[in-house]
Amino acid sequence: MTMDRRQFLGRLAASVAVAALPARLAAQQATQGTGAANVPMDEGRYRPVRLPAKSSTPSMTTDARDALEHRIHCMCGCNLDVYTCRTTDFTCPVSPAMHRDVMALVAGGYSAQEIIDAFVNVYGERVLMEPKKEGFNLAGYLAPFVALGAGGGLVIALLRRWRRPAADAATVEPLPVDATPEELAKLEALLKRDDQ
Amino acid sequence: MILIGELSLWVALLMAAWGTTAGFAGAYTGRTELQASGERALYAMCGFIVLASLGLWTALVTSDFSFRFVASFTSANLPTPYKLTAFWAGQAGSLLFWALILSLYSAIAVYTGRKSNRELMPWVVPTLSAIALFFILTLCFGANPYERLDFIPLDGRGMNPQLQNPGMAAHPPNLYLGYVATAIPFAYAVAALITRRLDNEWLTSVRRWVLVAWFFNTVGIIIGMWWAYVELGWGGYWAWDPVENASFLPWLVNTAFLHSIMVQEKRGMLRKWNVTLVVSAFLLAILGTFITRSGVISSVHAFAQSSVGYWFLAFLVLAIAVSAYLVATRLRDLEARAELESMVSREASFLFNNLLLVGIAFSILWGTLFPILSEAVRGTKITVGPPFFNQVNIPLGLALLALTGIGPLIAWRRASVPNLKRQFTGPVVIGIVVGALVVALGMRAVHAIIAYALGGFVLATIIQEFQKGIVARHRMYGESFPVALFRLVVRNRRRYGGYIVHVGVVVLFAAFAGLAFKKELDVTLKGGQSYEAVDPYGNHWRFVSQGVSQYEELNRLTTAVLLETWRNGKHVGVIKSEKRQYIDSNKNFTFEPSTEVGIMSGLRQDVYVVLAGTTGDDTAEMRITFNPLVWWVWYGGLIMAIGGLIVTWPQAERRKAQAGYATVLEPQHERARAGA
Repeated sequence: MTMDRRQFLGRLAASVAVAALPARLAAQQATQGTGAANVPMDEGRYRPVRLPAKSSTPSMTTDARDALEHRIHCMCGCNLDVYTCRTTDFTCPVSPAMHRDVMALVAGGYSAQEIIDAFVNVYGERVLMEPKKEGFNLAGYLAPFVALGAGGGLVIALLRRWRRPAADAATVEPLPVDATPEELAKLEALLKRDDQ
Repeated sequence: MILIGELSLWVALLMAAWGTTAGFAGAYTGRTELQASGERALYAMCGFIVLASLGLWTALVTSDFSFRFVASFTSANLPTPYKLTAFWAGQAGSLLFWALILSLYSAIAVYTGRKSNRELMPWVVPTLSAIALFFILTLCFGANPYERLDFIPLDGRGMNPQLQNPGMAAHPPNLYLGYVATAIPFAYAVAALITRRLDNEWLTSVRRWVLVAWFFNTVGIIIGMWWAYVELGWGGYWAWDPVENASFLPWLVNTAFLHSIMVQEKRGMLRKWNVTLVVSAFLLAILGTFITRSGVISSVHAFAQSSVGYWFLAFLVLAIAVSAYLVATRLRDLEARAELESMVSREASFLFNNLLLVGIAFSILWGTLFPILSEAVRGTKITVGPPFFNQVNIPLGLALLALTGIGPLIAWRRASVPNLKRQFTGPVVIGIVVGALVVALGMRAVHAIIAYALGGFVLATIIQEFQKGIVARHRMYGESFPVALFRLVVRNRRRYGGYIVHVGVVVLFAAFAGLAFKKELDVTLKGGQSYEAVDPYGNHWRFVSQGVSQYEELNRLTTAVLLETWRNGKHVGVIKSEKRQYIDSNKNFTFEPSTEVGIMSGLRQDVYVVLAGTTGDDTAEMRITFNPLVWWVWYGGLIMAIGGLIVTWPQAERRKAQAGYATVLEPQHERARAGA
C-alpha cells in the first residue's frame, strides 16, 4: 500500500478538482448576506405565503401549530426555526411575519403538510429545518450510516485478520518452562493484574 | 508599549520565517548549528509575539481609537474587563491570540522535549515555526490588529452586546487553547513520519499534548454552551450550529485517539490509525477556524468573518497534502504485528469505540457541509438543522454511551464467559431497573428511557470498579475507605481519572435526555396580572408581573420585567428578564437590542424567562420555558474537566520511583566512597 512520491503526486493531481471549491464557496458567500443572528436582520427576506381559506375551522391546536413552526426555518438569516426566533428576538422582523402566515393558513383549514408545501413553494427547500427525505437528500441522511456500516465491516474484517495468527499460534506446542506451579500461578496473577 | 508591540509583530514574522527556513535546512542537512539557530528563532518569535500581544492589550485598555481594531470593538465607556477580552472579539485580535498561544505552546514543547525527543526535535521546531509563520503572515497581511485609521474617532463602536458576558471571557481562550494544542502533536507526527521514527516513543509526548487539547476543548465547549444558554436566549445550549459543530470535531477525534493510544501502548497495534487521528485533529481544528472565519456556512457564532477564511482554506489544503503525502509514503514503516486473541476483548471494544467516535465526527462534518454539497450538485439551497443531526447522532451517541460502560470492564486480550458474567450481571440489572423505573414514573420518550437505562448501567460499572479497587486497598494496606479512594485515584490517575470523565459523560447524557421534557409557554402579562402553569414534574407555578421598567446603567438602556414567582403556593423569588440597548459615550445606540434572560435555576430544572417585547401600556410579551436538568450539563462538564485534569496531571509514581532509586543507591554510594 506504500506509494512513492510520483504515485502520490499523481493521485494528488487527480483531486485538483478541489480547486473549484473556493469559487463555489465564494459564490455562496456572496449570496448569503448576513448569515448570523448577531448581525442586522434582513427584512427583505420575508415573502408572503398566502392561500385562500378552505374552511372556517382551524386545522390544528396551538401546540400543534407551535410544533409546525419548529419545522420551518426563519429566513431572517439566523439558524433558528420560526417559533424559536419569534419568541426569542424581538428585533427580528421576519419570524413574526412568517408566524402570521402560518396562523392564517391554520385558520384557513390547511393541514401541516399543506402549509409546509406552501412555504416550500415560496421560499424553496431551505425553508425546512431539515431537508426532505428524497432524491439527493437521501445521500445526506444515509451517508453517515453507510460510512459507519462500511467502517464496522472494516473493523470486523481487521479483527478477524488479526485473530488468525493468534489462533495459529495456539496450535504450536508450548516450550517447556522451567518453573514451579507456584511460580507459574504467580506469573499468571501478575499478567492478569497487568491486563486489568 | 503600543509601538513596541506593533514593531514586534513584524520582527516575530522575521523570526518565524528564519525559524522555518533554518530549521528545515538544519534538519535536512543535519547541520546542528542551523537547527540550534532555528530553535532560538522559535523562542525569540514567542517573545516578540508576547510583546505584540501586550501592545494590543495596552491599546485596548487605553482606548487608542487610532487603531481600527480598538475603534471597532471597544468604546470609551466599555468596562475594563471587557476591554481586555476585546482582544478576541474580532478577527485580527483572535488571530494574534491564536499566534500567542501557539508560540507559547511551541516554546514549552520545544523546551520540555529538547532532551527526551532529541531525534524528532529538529523537525518539530521548523514545523511549529511554519505553522506560526502562516498565522503571523495572515496577521500582517490579512488582518492586522495594528492597522491605523485615517482619522481618530471620538469614540469606538463598542463591543457586540452578546460578547459582554463573563462566558465570553473564558470560552474563546479555552477553545483556542484546545484548538492550538493540536498543533504540537501534529508537529510531532510530521517529525516522526519524516524521520520514520514511528515507534511508541513519540506518542508518549504526543499523548500529554492531546490531553491538554482535549481538556481545554472540553472546558471551552461547556462554557460556550453556558454562554449560548444565558446569552442567546433561545432556551437551549446546543443547536448543531456549524461553529459549534466545528469545535466538537477535534474533540471527538482526540477522544478517539486517547482510547486507541492505549491499544498501541498495550498491544503495539493501530499505529497507522493513531497517526491519522493525530493529524486529523489538527486539520479539523484548522477546518473549524476556516468555517468560523470565512462565513461560508451561516452561524450564530461567527463574530469575525472575512476573506481571511480563504487563507485558512489554502493552509488547510497544503496541510492535507503534506500530511497525506507523508502518511502515504510511510505506510510500510507504520506496519505493526497485530494479533488479537479474541473478538471479545478490550482492544476490540476500543476499536468499536473509535468507530463510533469517528462515525459521529463524520456525520457532523457531513451534515455541516451538506448544504454546500447540495448547492453544488443540485443548485438548491437547503438547511440542515437540529432535526437532521438529532436523527443521525442520537442513536450513535447512545451506542457510544453503552460502550463507555462495556469497554473498561472487558479484559485485555480475552474475556472469558465467567469474567463477563461477574463483571456485567450487576450493572445490567441496575440498567434494567433504572429503565423500568423511569417508565413507571411516566416517561414515554424512547430515546430518553434508553439514555437513562444506559446511564444507570454505565454508572454501575464505574461504581463497581471503584468499589473493587477501594476494597482491595482496604484489605491489602488496611486503609480506611476514604483514604483508599484517594490513593486509588492518585496512584492510578490515568485509569480512575478516565472513569471520572465517564461519570461526567453519563451526567451529560442524563441532562440531554431531560430536554425531551422541556415545556415552552408564550405569555403576555400587564403589570399586576398573573399566569399559572404546570411544569414537567407536575408542580404548580404562578407568575405575577411587577410591570415593565426602563432605566439607564453603565453603557446601556435597559427595559426589564420582574416576575414574582410562586411554586406550589410558596414564594420562591423574583425573576428579572431584560432587553438591553447599548449606547456609546455620546448616548448613541450601538448594535441591535439584546436579550438578558431571567433564569431561576435548580437541580431539577430551570425556569427560563425571555422578554420578547413590550407595549406602551406596561405589558410584557414573554416566553417562559421549564428546562429540566440543565444544571446537570454544567455539572457533567465540570466532572469531565476534573477527570481530564486528573488524567493529565503528571504521575506521582514516577517521582516516587526516582526517590526510591535514590535511597537504594545512597548506601552503595556511601560504601563506594568509604571503600575509596
